[in-house]
This record gives sequence, C-alpha cells and structure tokens, in this order.
Amino acid sequence: MSVAVMVFPGTNSEDETLRAVEAAGLEGRLVHWSADPASVRGFAAYILPGGFAYEDRIRAGAVAAHDKLMDVVIEGAQNGKLVLGICNGAQILLETGLVPGTGPIRRPTAAFAPNAHGGRFRSVRVYARPVGERARSPFLAALGAAPIPMWASHGDGRLVASPSELQTIEAGGHIAFVYSDEAGITSEAVVPNGSALGIAGLVNTRGNVLAIMPHPERDGLVFQHRDGAEKLAAMNDSKAMLAPSGGSAIFSALAQALGAGVR
Amino acid sequence: MIARFAVSLTIPDNTAYTTLVALRHLGIDLERIERAELYEFDGDFDLAQLEATIRTIETIFNPNKHRLELRFGADPLPGEVWIDERDESESTATRVTVAGRTLQGVRSLRRATAWRLFSDGKTADSATVGRAVETLLCNPAFQRAQYDPRTTTIASHA
Repeated sequence: MSVAVMVFPGTNSEDETLRAVEAAGLEGRLVHWSADPASVRGFAAYILPGGFAYEDRIRAGAVAAHDKLMDVVIEGAQNGKLVLGICNGAQILLETGLVPGTGPIRRPTAAFAPNAHGGRFRSVRVYARPVGERARSPFLAALGAAPIPMWASHGDGRLVASPSELQTIEAGGHIAFVYSDEAGITSEAVVPNGSALGIAGLVNTRGNVLAIMPHPERDGLVFQHRDGAEKLAAMNDSKAMLAPSGGSAIFSALAQALGAGVR
Repeated sequence: MIARFAVSLTIPDNTAYTTLVALRHLGIDLERIERAELYEFDGDFDLAQLEATIRTIETIFNPNKHRLELRFGADPLPGEVWIDERDESESTATRVTVAGRTLQGVRSLRRATAWRLFSDGKTADSATVGRAVETLLCNPAFQRAQYDPRTTTIASHA
C-alpha cells in the first residue's frame, strides 16, 4: 500500500513523516507540488505534513488548499481514501472544507487560527487523547484510551468556528482528539493554543479524513521521547531506540486501516 | 479619537504577488494587488507623538522596507477590502503595549490586512472584490471582511 506524503513549497516535516510511515510498515513516497496530478491518483492514502506551505501567505493553509494536487486529494477523500493532515496539513484540510466537512468544498466552516494570547508560536510537548466512538473513523479504530505523546509546534493552532458550527462539530462526533495531560485529563492549562473545546484533532463526517494539529511523527520513535522508562531501557541499543512508539500509533492505525481494506 | 495607519512594503510584496497568481488561477482576472497592514488606534492621544512612536517600533515599521501612511476615512478605499479577525477583542486594558512599548493614551488597537485589487487599469469593482473575499481572502470561520459595497472604481495610477 503506497502512501503519498505531499510536499508544497514551505512544507518542512516531510522526511520525518515519511520515516514514520515506513516505520509503520507502509510504503511511502514524497510527492512534490510539481507532480502531474494524474500520477498522484494511484496512491492508497495521502498525508499532508507540517510546515508553512506557500509560506502561510494570506493565512495558514489558504493557498495550498487551492493547489492543483489538492484537487486529487479532495477527489480521493470523497471516494473514501484515507487522508491525514498534520499541523500545517491540518490547516490545509480545514481550508479545503474537507474537515469537518459540514459545508461545501473550499468554503471553510472552521479554522486553525492564530494561537490565543497574540498568536505566538509555541513548541511544547503535549498529549492528545482520542475521544469519541472508535468505529467513527479508521484512524481511531485501533487506538485505546491512552493519551498519545506528540509535539505541538505552531502559531496557528486554535480551533475556531461559530457557536452553531462548534455545536455541529461536537454533536456530529467530529472531535477525534483533545489535548490532555499524561493521565488523560483535559484542562485549560494543557491546551497550548486556546483551541475551542480543547480540540487537537477533527475528523470529517465519513471518518476517513483526520486533521490533527500536534505532530505525532515528532514523538513516534523511542529516541524522540523526551524521557521515560522506555527510552532509558533502550539506552545503548540503537534498534530499540529506533523502534516505533508513542505518536507512531497514528501511523500504525493508518497501516491497520489500509491493511484492513479501507481504501 | 481614532487614528488608522497603513504600513506597506516599499520592496516587492511577494505575498501580494502570490495572492494575485492564486486569484487568477481561481478565475478572477486582476492586474495587480496592493497589500498593507492596518493599525487602528482608539484613545486620547497626541497623533504626532503616536506616529513618532510607531516609527520606532521595528516589528510594525522598518524604515528600510516600509512606508507608513496615516489613513483618513473610516471605510476601505474603492477596490479595497479589510480583513480582520472576528474575535480579536479590543483591548480594555488601561495601557496598550506593542512589542513591549507602551502607547501613551491608546485604549485599544485593532489590526487588519488591507488588500486593494486592480483590474483593467482601475480599481476592481465590488463584485470582483466580493468574489476574491469569498474564494480566498477571508475564512469566515474566524475572519470578517469589510469593503465598499458600492461599485465605485477609480483609475489605477501604477
């Protein structure tokens, strides 16, 4: 199963994302913005990695959402293919309207807006706790209740929408992840950006498109963990240090979903 | 009193150019786009002193690449739209600080981006501005757009 890791001018997390894809047992390929759209249609799934696509000109994700390769991603998502957007990729997915998917395409109903308190860029280790029905999305089906370590690294990660849209998002089961502490408790203190309802990730109505703001791939191998028994136990063992762990659960879920025949 | 300053680039504006290209791709036929950051100050202040202070805050105004203009009038110019954050609350603090500098007498500060669109040798009409707003310039989930609803256009002088 081949997964396309999309690269736009200004994307900067494609290599570690590709590594996380491969660590999950999937075949991945970087696909640059200059690629012929026709050549991109054959992939089983698409990942939009983090960065600053088109330098975040106009606003985060706005220009990339109109890139010709996004026509292919949108078409694939509408046909049920799995699409994962991480950080800037999540911003792009909201700009395309694919997530939460409650309005027309390219007419966004929500956004990851500048962080609270002046839009300051923050890079902090966070936990994202899966919420909602696991059957709701192939990305969630394989996940337990445990919070997953990731890195929030963004200036525009505050989920915003109108009050009625937030109600729709909540009632429609679109919330896939909320920020929490290691024990799974969500409070204002653990939300790095002022995101509404503490939201870290959203899925579309069908559940095949996930937009997640923190980076699972930056805490997806043992050596990337900041601390913990697992990393200590792996000391002086390069194989153990490079083993998938933590945030890799998201990519394993993708692999499992693809292996299970989710197109 | 309210004072509005526009800060624009004196060097080529890559963001404006990208926006121009993107809007053309979206079928909106434009000739050029001008962009400025708008700072709207409300309070009881000495205008000349405020301007002098702004000229020393490099995160707003860098004399090597910016021009600073005092904007008169409460509305966007013909062909222009102001985009700002819907929930960017006005400061109710007794002191407004920017980049660590206190702005004497300023009660609130609002920021917006001003996009001015030109087509066929004149400013774009409001229908064109409206289409640009709807397709690209504004995400209504958190932004709002203010532009002249009249179809007034004036000749471009660039």
